[in-house]
Amino acid sequence: MRVQALLAHFDLQRESVLVISDGTLVPGDATLGKNAKVEIRPVISGGGPG
Amino acid sequence: MKCRVCRGAAIIDLRRHNANFCAPHFTKFCIDQVTKAIKDHKMIEPDDRVLVAVSGGKDSLAVWDILTRLDYEVDGLYVGLGIGEYSDTSGDYARDFASERGLKLIEVDVRNEFGFDVPNGSRAVKRAPCSACGMTKRHLFDRAALEGEYDVLVTGHNLDDEAAVLFGNVLHWQTDYLGRQEPVLQAGGGFPRKVKPLIRLSEREMAAYCVVEGIDYIIDECPMAVGNRHIAYKEALNSIEARSPGAKYDFYHGFLSRAAALFQPESVEVREGLQPCTSCGAPTPSDVCAFCRMISRATEPQPIYFRDKPTSADREEESNVG
Repeated sequence: MRVQALLAHFDLQRESVLVISDGTLVPGDATLGKNAKVEIRPVISGGGPG
Repeated sequence: MKCRVCRGAAIIDLRRHNANFCAPHFTKFCIDQVTKAIKDHKMIEPDDRVLVAVSGGKDSLAVWDILTRLDYEVDGLYVGLGIGEYSDTSGDYARDFASERGLKLIEVDVRNEFGFDVPNGSRAVKRAPCSACGMTKRHLFDRAALEGEYDVLVTGHNLDDEAAVLFGNVLHWQTDYLGRQEPVLQAGGGFPRKVKPLIRLSEREMAAYCVVEGIDYIIDECPMAVGNRHIAYKEALNSIEARSPGAKYDFYHGFLSRAAALFQPESVEVREGLQPCTSCGAPTPSDVCAFCRMISRATEPQPIYFRDKPTSADREEESNVG
């Protein structure tokens, strides 16, 4: 599955998250491995500068 | 995707720049953006003593890291706000960052120094928690910068922060606030010089910088900020950005180049009308500043109520007093 498809599946904005696969940042067109450990990390903070 | 610079494998795509970068060139991109912001807005001189306000979050740790790499003399300031476990954890991230790099971190804890915390303080003065928190931080950042005789106070406000604040100020036509949205606020009238070197970098880019550079930061959102207006403005702007890459940058930087000066006379007028707080000396439009009023209200003795009717024994004890 591609990163863009994963984010679309969860209805997430690209600007609002980072996708980290097996500890490495991956861009939108990257394909995620079947057994990859994937983290979708939110980046928006609401209490001023984080 | 390939890196725009070296054609190696990219780790991030930046649609507003129509560019992809590998890890080393993404780091260089971020440092270059900060360098350009500092130069364009004359933020920091090479021999300035710099104090950076750190929260343990991505932006403040990233800007501390970048300024140190750029050879500025930078100390950190962490304010413990007493927001339960969140404050304890965020303080640990700030301390670990400083100790791992041999940097000086100044700490202020509002519970120890002033006897209140943000949740209680906001309730006492009937302010929203984020409003009381922001006011507390501004007051203590200013005080630390002045007392420490630093030349400049740095905050980690990024492009998304500034665009969201601008969005809110325009929605409600807060014209005096619009005049204060410059990335450099000059010293004077009881305020230190304040600058925002991250105004050319987005929130996502700062989080990515931390991942690439191995900077551990608190990822969890402050429990008191969940659902606040600032987050709603950011989400709205990100929806626009998805359809129009670069919109956030154009919105904020277009404001700076084309409109900010129009609102400055009003903010100058507000600043000139301030006087020293009779309690702490900080500039305020009232006799006593909002921070000192909050301390006073949050720490004043609470009335004691009888939960039950006094018993005959209570009455007897009372009659024996004196």
